[in-house]
Amino acid sequence: MLSQWILVGAFVFVGFYLLKARRSSNQQAIRRLFIVLALIGGLLAALFPEYTNVLAGLVGVGRGADLLLYAVVVFGLFYAVYQYRRQLWQEKVNTDLARALTLTQAKLDQALGDRDEA
Amino acid sequence: MAPTGSSSPAPRAELDSVWIVIPLFNEAEVIAGVVHDIKTQFKNVVCVDDGSSDESAVLAKTAGAIVLQHPMNLGQGAALQTGFDYVVSRPEATHVVTFDADGQHRLRDAVEMAELALTKRISVIYGSRFLDKRTKPGLKKRIVLKVAALMTRVFTGLRLTDAHNGLRVLSREALGKVRLEQNGMSHASEIVHQLAKSRLSWREHPVEVLYTEYSKKKGQSLLNSINILIDLIVR
Repeated sequence: MLSQWILVGAFVFVGFYLLKARRSSNQQAIRRLFIVLALIGGLLAALFPEYTNVLAGLVGVGRGADLLLYAVVVFGLFYAVYQYRRQLWQEKVNTDLARALTLTQAKLDQALGDRDEA
Repeated sequence: MAPTGSSSPAPRAELDSVWIVIPLFNEAEVIAGVVHDIKTQFKNVVCVDDGSSDESAVLAKTAGAIVLQHPMNLGQGAALQTGFDYVVSRPEATHVVTFDADGQHRLRDAVEMAELALTKRISVIYGSRFLDKRTKPGLKKRIVLKVAALMTRVFTGLRLTDAHNGLRVLSREALGKVRLEQNGMSHASEIVHQLAKSRLSWREHPVEVLYTEYSKKKGQSLLNSINILIDLIVR
């Protein structure tokens, strides 16, 4: 079934993102594109709910509601992974900042100590 | 700085280019004694206080250590890296010895390892508690450490017998190859990983780990090795 291939592909993509994603403007563009597409998709599904059934039929899922559920699961997972990576990056920035502060303080202490001794 | 206690022998001059780095987090009970002990042999001791909420930093400073203070708790790996950066900024430093604050390492082992690094020109010396019979870890601890060593071997190809020993000697050259990004406990694997890639000369040296009631409280669990594995894969 087509839907199975799409789902497998989506999960592999999320897994790949977890392991390999680096911060870049391309990545950001792709994320934003996804959000815009999700918005448009959601809007269309709300306005024309009967077409979700048609689309579901095309990819081999029984009902439109099932199709939406799959989409929600994939997007939710992707979001969690994205936030996790973002947090890792944020931690690194925090660490670098804290370390710079620590080493500057040490230099300052040392300079003041040297001055006091002189 | 002159040793304060009249009973303390002077630090040994041939070890003056060696810096002891101690990551420090809430070890007020023991840190003064540990630093005092080390100062009998090594002139240069730097404690990286990782946001302790107790008196650890003041006690370490009073005992004669240089104390660097993180503004908040970042983790042992982050503390080590800060210590490494500091030592590299000292032009006279040739080696660093990493030493745990909780008093589980023996000073004698650190001295032996430092002498070995200085005289035999070995870039990296890893302490191992499994090379002789002195250390008596419990069964659970033994399993955790053996799993860690096996994981390290799979990832790096380095045949270490004890992958998570806090006592190590790194030359200045080796310090240049290390950039710890794992702030937490996964740095022990990370450091081996990076040093293995550098292809610098290395060996293991037998050390004794003293399992006091105090240090036992702070041990790692078996489940935590899963965390370490994931940390190393997802970066």
